[in-house]
Amino acid sequence: MTSSRTPASGAFQTLRRYISWNTDHKVIGIQYLVTTFTFFLIGGALAMVMRTELSQPGVDLLNGAEYNRFMTNHGSVMLFLWIIPVFSGFANFMLPIMIGAKDMAFPRLNAASFWLIPPAGVIMLTSFFVGAADAGWTAYVPLSIQSADGQSLWAVSVILLGTSSIMGAINFVTTTITMRAPGITIWRLPLFVWAMMATALLVIMATPVLTAGLVLVALDRLAGTLFFSVEAGGNPILWQNIFWFYSHPAVYIMVLPGMGIVSEIFPVFSRKPIFGYKMIALSSMAISVLGLTVWAHHMFTSGLDPRLRVPYMITSMVIAVPTGVKIFSWLATIWDGKIRLQTPMLFSLGFISMFLIGGITGIFLASIPFDIHVHDTYFVVAHLHFVLFGGAVSAVYAGLYYWFPKITGRMYDENLGKLHFLMNFVGTNLSYLPMFLAGMLGMPRRVADYAPEFTSLNVLATMGAVLLGSSTLPFIYNAIISWAKGPRASANPWRGLTLEWSVTSPPPPHNFEQTPAVDHGPYDYGQPRQLEQPASAAAD
Amino acid sequence: MSQAPQEMEHPASSGRLGYGGVFLLLALVTALEIWLGSVGVLRSVRTAFFLVLSLFKAGMVAAYYMHLRTDSRLYAYILIAPAVLLLVFAIIAAVP
Amino acid sequence: MTTSVEHSDEFRAGRELGLNHVKLGMWLFLASEVMFFGGLISAFLHYKLNNPSLESGLLDVLLVGGNTFVLLTSSYTVVMALAAARAGNSAGLVRNLLLTAVLGAAFLAGQGYEFASLIREGMTPTSSVFGSSFFTLTGFHGLHVLVGLLWALRNLAKALRGGFDQGRSLGVEIFGLYWHFVDIVWIVLFTVIYLI
Repeated sequence: MTSSRTPASGAFQTLRRYISWNTDHKVIGIQYLVTTFTFFLIGGALAMVMRTELSQPGVDLLNGAEYNRFMTNHGSVMLFLWIIPVFSGFANFMLPIMIGAKDMAFPRLNAASFWLIPPAGVIMLTSFFVGAADAGWTAYVPLSIQSADGQSLWAVSVILLGTSSIMGAINFVTTTITMRAPGITIWRLPLFVWAMMATALLVIMATPVLTAGLVLVALDRLAGTLFFSVEAGGNPILWQNIFWFYSHPAVYIMVLPGMGIVSEIFPVFSRKPIFGYKMIALSSMAISVLGLTVWAHHMFTSGLDPRLRVPYMITSMVIAVPTGVKIFSWLATIWDGKIRLQTPMLFSLGFISMFLIGGITGIFLASIPFDIHVHDTYFVVAHLHFVLFGGAVSAVYAGLYYWFPKITGRMYDENLGKLHFLMNFVGTNLSYLPMFLAGMLGMPRRVADYAPEFTSLNVLATMGAVLLGSSTLPFIYNAIISWAKGPRASANPWRGLTLEWSVTSPPPPHNFEQTPAVDHGPYDYGQPRQLEQPASAAAD
Repeated sequence: MSQAPQEMEHPASSGRLGYGGVFLLLALVTALEIWLGSVGVLRSVRTAFFLVLSLFKAGMVAAYYMHLRTDSRLYAYILIAPAVLLLVFAIIAAVP
Repeated sequence: MTTSVEHSDEFRAGRELGLNHVKLGMWLFLASEVMFFGGLISAFLHYKLNNPSLESGLLDVLLVGGNTFVLLTSSYTVVMALAAARAGNSAGLVRNLLLTAVLGAAFLAGQGYEFASLIREGMTPTSSVFGSSFFTLTGFHGLHVLVGLLWALRNLAKALRGGFDQGRSLGVEIFGLYWHFVDIVWIVLFTVIYLI
């Protein structure tokens, strides 16, 4: 069989390659990254409309029903069409190269995983024409059973995206286990690969349960089944259990790969070996496994049997331990290092500070008494945006800048990168810090209108949102112009030691001229050895 | 994919029991279950039996027909981990 | 310093661990299927335990027990098909694949008959929570059998063309893993729905 494997170089000249079926993991990776970033902008646009409405009390731009539709799709687009699949994009491009392989184990399955995403996105967004989903991304029953037709489209879309996710995870795990080049032992895997393995475990174990639940919701809506019909004895708590069984691990799916990315960046930009490699690797797995045990902390006020609550409080607090191990390890990595504050490093440092705020407030939320006060208030909104935007999105940007030269063969403009970082950091904090206060003072979430006493906090948040929205502009400009005509990048502009830096920028069609055989760890700085050369100029 | 050399190591009968032996065993256990289902034994005792018997049957199919007995342990873990997780979830979700 | 090795042996790391990448992929897929059915089973169990329904008396344990035999037998024929393929016995392979397909079709027919008689008695997917969860759970299982049946037929056609000759049995093995899994799901379903 002749597969459509064509080299991923010179993007603009061969634009057609990127909008057609291609089984080369590097092309698929770029397809993922560009597509998901587009959805990020759409989700952001929805947020800008919401923040405009919320800049003043009263219902001005959107009425309550319209606000619910915007709010639902903002969340759903951001989570299912951006932050979860974007890491598949990174994994697709980098994982095979990092382990010395020439592609994924199942290239056609890989292409299929990507091609589920654009139609799923279209389905979700065209729902606006038939009455968009409006029950929140959490789609609690019985409300979601009664919503307009768009809710069914929403369910179909999420089922497709979950399927794409599972297919990708199967590929990542199989590839990592069976296609490592000689010398890449389990304890020489780059931490990004460890992170993807921990993530894939969650995707395979948890996503199908959501799929089952969505099937039940779809059947209730379309076929008249009675799973969640209260009159017939349907139980809303059942939906919440099913939904959160996936959606809590989902948040680790959203952040573990990002932690893997910053684990790659810190050693390179401090010129020091990573501190606690094994602990970071094992912590990723621990977070993954523990992540499957905490879901009902989203249900403390749901009417769940009270005896079930305390165990979840305990597991939810315990999961902070491996996370803390990672944070201390990263700090120990950069401590006394020769630190270079270029954009990937700036975003990684931003990641630590903002994820920390989000993570610690998560521990507050794990405490049942505290959660009872702030559940469904803006405190939760602030928490989730700090971990997801301050955390995961910072890590995505860090990865985009870090690997930009490798993927595109060109170097981005560092000054624009720094500007982007500054606007992003200030904007994130300005948008979301006031929300903690608003929540504790009692402002509920998912509302278009609020009591006048919350006005100044909301004005601050809207200002932050404007700054955040504008911060994407220098990035987009930088990315496009640099990709088109930035200075050509060398194979290893950051002088990293993982295998992707040993090949040209962009990598050749089969990644390596010959399978590499590796005899050192991925972060062995300070050992007397030769710098990696592009494979064709290998020393031996 | 040429598999001929390795595959010849696997005889048609798997282990002492053989595929046919496993089949007879499964058929017998199923018959036993159906009989138990129609007899008026105490519900909770019956339930315990059914759970044990079905676990046994599933295990036999997995071990002998799916070759988990002879293949890499990893495949077995990949099957058992979600099964255990599912059991825990089903129990928690069953609470009213 | 890196030395270089011939580029052709991409799955060497897997082989050294005793793993075949296609089998590994299938097992991972089956793990996800365990969780998918798990979600449906959890919903069924929740309602069976908390909303007991008189309709469960309508279920025909004997008929479906017979159906269970049929599916069990088809698992036997599948593993015999694999053994035949490995031994280079293409007649045996064809015969057993054909038997598997026939038994699979018989199972589906049996399910169809059961569904029809339940619906005649007034138990439908929309008549009660029990009906909804019964038909959904068994329906999805049936869909999986149908997919397996189509796969069996495709393999049968390939076997007739000599596609599994010379011991090239991996495709049969992978199909077998899927089919046995569907059988295992049925073992669980039969117990949870009909016996307990």
